[in-house]
Amino acid sequence: MLNRRHWLHALAASVVLVGAGPAFAQAPSGKVTVVTSFSKDVTDPIKKAFEKANPGLTLEVQNRNTNAGVKFVEETRSNPQSDLFWASAPDAFEVLKGKNLLQKYDLKVKGIPAKVGSYPINDPDGFYFGFAASGYGIMWNERYLRANRIPEPKEWSDLARPVYHDHVSIASPARSGTTHLTLETILQGEGWEKGWATIKAMAGNFNTIAERSFGVPDAVNSGQVGIGIVIDFFAFSAQGAGFPVKFVYPSVTTVVPANVGIIAGAPNRAGAEAFIEFLLSPAGQEVLLEPTIRRLPVNPETYAKAPPGFPNPFKDANFQKMLHFDVDKSERRTAVVDTLFDQMITFQLADLKAVTKLMHEAEGLLAKKANPQARAALDEARKLVSAVPITESQASSDTEIVGAFRGGADAKTRQAEFERRWAAFSKENYAKAKAKAEEAVKLAR
Amino acid sequence: MSITSDLGAEIRRNAAGIDVAGVNLSYGATHVLKDVNLKIEPGEFFAFLGPSGCGKTTLLRLIAGFNIAQTGRVMVGGQDISSLPPWKRDVGMVFQSYALWPHMSVAKNVAFGLEERKLPKVKIAARVDQALDLVNLKHLKDRKPSQLSGGQQQRVALARTIAVRPKVLLLDEPLSNLDAKMRVQVRRELRDLQQELGITTIFVTHDQEEANTICDRIAVMNDGVVQQVGTPMALYDRPANLFVANFLGTANILDGTAETAGAEFAITGGGRLPFPAKENVQPGAKLVFRPQNARIAPHDAPKAPGMTRLDGRITHVEFLGASLRYGVAIGANEVLVDVPHQAGNAPLPTGAPIAVDLDHSRALFLAA
Amino acid sequence: MTVATGFSSEKAAPAARQAVATPGQWLTIGAIVAFLALFLLIPVAMVILVAFQDPNSGAFTLVNFADFARNEMFLRSFANSLYVSAMSVVWATIFALPLAYFTTRFEFRGAAIIQTLGVIPLIMPPFAGAVAMQLFFGRNGSVNLLLGDWFGINIPFMEGLNGVIFVQSVHYFPFILINLTASLRNIDRSMEEAAQNLGCSGGRLFRRIVFPLAMPGYVAGASLVFIKVFDDLATPLLLNVKDMLAPQAYLRITSIGLKDPMGYVISVVLIVFSVLSLFIATSTMRNRDYATVQRGGGGLAKRPIGGLDLVMAWGTIGLILALVLAPHLGLLLLSFSTVWSFSVLPDGYTTAHYTRVVLESGQYIWNTLLYATIAGFIGIIIGTAISYIVLRTKVPGRQWLDYLASAALAVPGVVLGIGYLRAYYGVSLPSGQSVTSLWIIIVIALAVRRLPYALRACMAAMQQISVSLEEAAENLGANKASTIRKIMVPLMTGGILAGFVTSFATASVELSATMMLVQNTSDAPLAYGLYVFMQSPAGRGAGAALGIIAVLIVGISTYLSQLLAERDRSTRAGS
Repeated sequence: MLNRRHWLHALAASVVLVGAGPAFAQAPSGKVTVVTSFSKDVTDPIKKAFEKANPGLTLEVQNRNTNAGVKFVEETRSNPQSDLFWASAPDAFEVLKGKNLLQKYDLKVKGIPAKVGSYPINDPDGFYFGFAASGYGIMWNERYLRANRIPEPKEWSDLARPVYHDHVSIASPARSGTTHLTLETILQGEGWEKGWATIKAMAGNFNTIAERSFGVPDAVNSGQVGIGIVIDFFAFSAQGAGFPVKFVYPSVTTVVPANVGIIAGAPNRAGAEAFIEFLLSPAGQEVLLEPTIRRLPVNPETYAKAPPGFPNPFKDANFQKMLHFDVDKSERRTAVVDTLFDQMITFQLADLKAVTKLMHEAEGLLAKKANPQARAALDEARKLVSAVPITESQASSDTEIVGAFRGGADAKTRQAEFERRWAAFSKENYAKAKAKAEEAVKLAR
Repeated sequence: MSITSDLGAEIRRNAAGIDVAGVNLSYGATHVLKDVNLKIEPGEFFAFLGPSGCGKTTLLRLIAGFNIAQTGRVMVGGQDISSLPPWKRDVGMVFQSYALWPHMSVAKNVAFGLEERKLPKVKIAARVDQALDLVNLKHLKDRKPSQLSGGQQQRVALARTIAVRPKVLLLDEPLSNLDAKMRVQVRRELRDLQQELGITTIFVTHDQEEANTICDRIAVMNDGVVQQVGTPMALYDRPANLFVANFLGTANILDGTAETAGAEFAITGGGRLPFPAKENVQPGAKLVFRPQNARIAPHDAPKAPGMTRLDGRITHVEFLGASLRYGVAIGANEVLVDVPHQAGNAPLPTGAPIAVDLDHSRALFLAA
Repeated sequence: MTVATGFSSEKAAPAARQAVATPGQWLTIGAIVAFLALFLLIPVAMVILVAFQDPNSGAFTLVNFADFARNEMFLRSFANSLYVSAMSVVWATIFALPLAYFTTRFEFRGAAIIQTLGVIPLIMPPFAGAVAMQLFFGRNGSVNLLLGDWFGINIPFMEGLNGVIFVQSVHYFPFILINLTASLRNIDRSMEEAAQNLGCSGGRLFRRIVFPLAMPGYVAGASLVFIKVFDDLATPLLLNVKDMLAPQAYLRITSIGLKDPMGYVISVVLIVFSVLSLFIATSTMRNRDYATVQRGGGGLAKRPIGGLDLVMAWGTIGLILALVLAPHLGLLLLSFSTVWSFSVLPDGYTTAHYTRVVLESGQYIWNTLLYATIAGFIGIIIGTAISYIVLRTKVPGRQWLDYLASAALAVPGVVLGIGYLRAYYGVSLPSGQSVTSLWIIIVIALAVRRLPYALRACMAAMQQISVSLEEAAENLGANKASTIRKIMVPLMTGGILAGFVTSFATASVELSATMMLVQNTSDAPLAYGLYVFMQSPAGRGAGAALGIIAVLIVGISTYLSQLLAERDRSTRAGS
């Protein structure tokens, strides 16, 4: 009974497609199905505006988190019934593209620059397109910080300070494309060794590592944790909804586009193209400014209509000193970096936190009374904590490692093997570091 | 069944009388027990007899504490137990379904009540053996109840109750789940056991034969009312009312009216007989006699003195082994008459005209 | 033996059943096997096949399992999962026992309401429930903020493994409650009276007689709790506990781009272990005799309770209910709140969320009712059929039907969802649409996922029915089918109803399999809508409102069925 309507829809759509065909440049009509990770707050206003601008087209929104969405598109490839994939994380699109699940399209709309910050807006091969930019930063709950007398953080390195111990949350990079890009930003900005040291120093202060992107802003909004490392629009839309939260872009950050792409074999291709064109049109870009959405448009013109205080990545000085973000590098080592993070940090968090706490204590004692011996022990502990089992070049070009994560007949070692080694490496190092840190505390007293 | 002396001695010492006084019990609008008064002597084997729904089980459960009366009290051994919960009454009960716990072995079942009484382990083991010995089931002590036959389960249930040496023993239709042959055997065992232990016992049954054969006294109940209390023979011979007469054995009941200033009873449809001189017969009473208290005679045979003759016709004959039971139509009524059977005697043919002679001295006049 | 109490065991089953099964039974078996094969075995097999393939070459191998056994993290996760599951059973028992006992054994006003309230924790809508619990019991939840203000302390209710145990036992204890209650109601009262008569009462009576006799129900409930906690991934993940098996499997399976079999290896471990614990549970129950039902004979004895006992009983019940219903109270507050952040109570109140939900999500609610009802019916029909075959026939290997159906419990929803797509996406309807896009597929997924609940309840109910009652019917000329219909099903009503309520209630808030299978928003159930709402700050209130509506729907249906059951019992008792 529910389905009859859809059959009719589908039937109508297929009649239109078969009857009209691409030769007739007739206005597209029917149902456009989009698989997206965006929340209702984002999709509803856009759906409304899109359907208003394109009478005859309806937008069917299928909400799935990014990972489930990718799986879904993959599993349904034999007979796709969705037209578009629409999500933040560029690497999800890279995965889809790599599996030939996206369709090439030549954009007609004009006025979109090639880059936002240092990140190219569109896929150079034309498989997916950026429609909104987002930057990464630090979000916090004002009430929480006030109650715990914690200063507002400004830089990534702030989060490594003792005062933030057990107050910070992040989503696991393997689960959240945005976190992955944050990590990459730090790793590319500070270099492999130093980057990991920063990340681990921060991670030692983590309260939780969430398994989904929204888990972090959710916990900050409700005050369960004080500080979250998030993508900007989470904070902006939370502010829009009235939560007592604030957000800052640290100086080492990047903006990356959120994307949309046509699924290979889309049943309503004309409708899908219409949607992309709409999204990038001035009207579509303007919708992004709504308080519940708050994404940075990729059309610089749109900022003229933005409310005061709205960040502008094309003009604001903050965004201009951004580093160059190497997308290829990031894409190549995605699995390795994410797995490293999980094995060294996510699954060893209790140990890492314990060591970090001791190091904070030692640092505090040394600040009061210098002690070279204790300082040496502490430095040793820090070195042990920040050690990474593989080098940067291994991560992106060691055939054995890359092969294990890519799979294929030529790979000799299994991913599980590396995971075990890396986990053991970290566990051992943290244990040694703990002993050193304890020694430092004892000496410093 | 043998008995170890201290068990019997203790139970005998404990044997207590039961005194039920002024008990009324209703469930909502249903008045289940109506002003019940009973006195049961220590060591007596007593039966509650009546048709199903008469309140006998309710009364038994009342004594055990599972039902609460609205008025009245229950005394055991002179102590008022009306307000005690079941577990403090020390009144042993064997359930109709036996209620053996399926998750415990036979020995565990029997030990249960002793454990509740916090007896030392050694003593419990000894008493369990003793109780099982008493019912000849010691060899099955490690079995689960489901592995026993019905008769064995029944005996375990009994042993379980006896083991705690209760003041009185309540048996709720204990034979109803056994086959006919077992029933006869077990009821005799029950009687022997009761005699050996000297325990005050109440036996609930709807089967008059069971009650007659093993009980000292019987309370016949109907409709929540105790109809009559007495020894089996007294109840049979001198029933207090038509219900008791009919429920205990077979009775012929004939309508009639008092005539000649109350000196004679005129049977509806013919025949009259004198009212007994000393007894105070209620108005509206009916004539009641047992099949063996009348004789069958040919029409023309002379009538013996002290007899009343009724003329009728044989409608059917039942051969009962020791006797022949004739159904004789007298006017609109049918009466049953038993005639002792001797080998070689042929039954009288149905349809034959016949006379029934009633013995005045055995006739009863009972109110409804 | 003609014992009315029916102390008969499977072994003592009558010689009349010489034939292994009647043609009708074979047909039923065939149908069940086909259903399970199509909608459980084949889809799952297609997914977990990966666990047995070398990740690089694709050849068959067991090396992945060796990797599992060599990995410290996996072993730790395994141990944690065991510990959390066992402790959750302990706590769930502590919550469920008093509620079940008081409401079935005493003349207790409002027993039906208590029973209903006791079931509600099961209906903890995904995301919403955990959010609400955090708001109350979290690190900076209402309770800890108050404790901090008053005493300067902070109790980590929701941290680490203990947090998982807390949430899981609150969430799943109704499994024990429902099954234990059904079991307690089926105990012949003479069993308890006999014990009282021998001097036993109160707690000892419960411990020595009542509880052991209610074992089939308790074990059914406890094994459900154990397996459910063992296999549940949502709660640990929402509490950010990752070193447990189910979350590990989920994280592995759904991470992008990783070509990694370990997620499926863990799934296999989960499935095998769940089936194993079920096997242990059923084999401890087998060869034991618990058929104590003598319907129309003993019946249930409700004792009066009064004075101090009553006060204490209400105190206990009140405390438990307050604890287990706290998440729902939190959800209720959240659904009416404007902003609730780092404060004991929300900043302000509004009804706007309900308006939004009613306007936007009416379809979700209707879909949920429809799906959960159908799924519940499928569950109890198959559950009764399997129970009958397992307990009442001699078909060789019949236990495997039970294990197979119960294995569904251990199949992560994601695996089942992917399995359906993998197995049936290519099957097209005449219209060119895929079979998997039909909403009935969602219903079947729900039914399969909830089948184990219905099955356990039906099993327990049938275990307590004496074979002699059926024999009596057959003796009077009823064939197998009408014996089942006229004798067994009516006697099992309580248990079947329990099964239906559990399946219905939990299917109403199921998300994980649905996530993969929803292809049209208009076919989506409520949980999906809730998930969508809960992904944005402005949607939290609306999501909570939708959650409350879900709870109300399920709560009202549960209450109605409780009333039905109560009426059913009283007509029976009156006869």
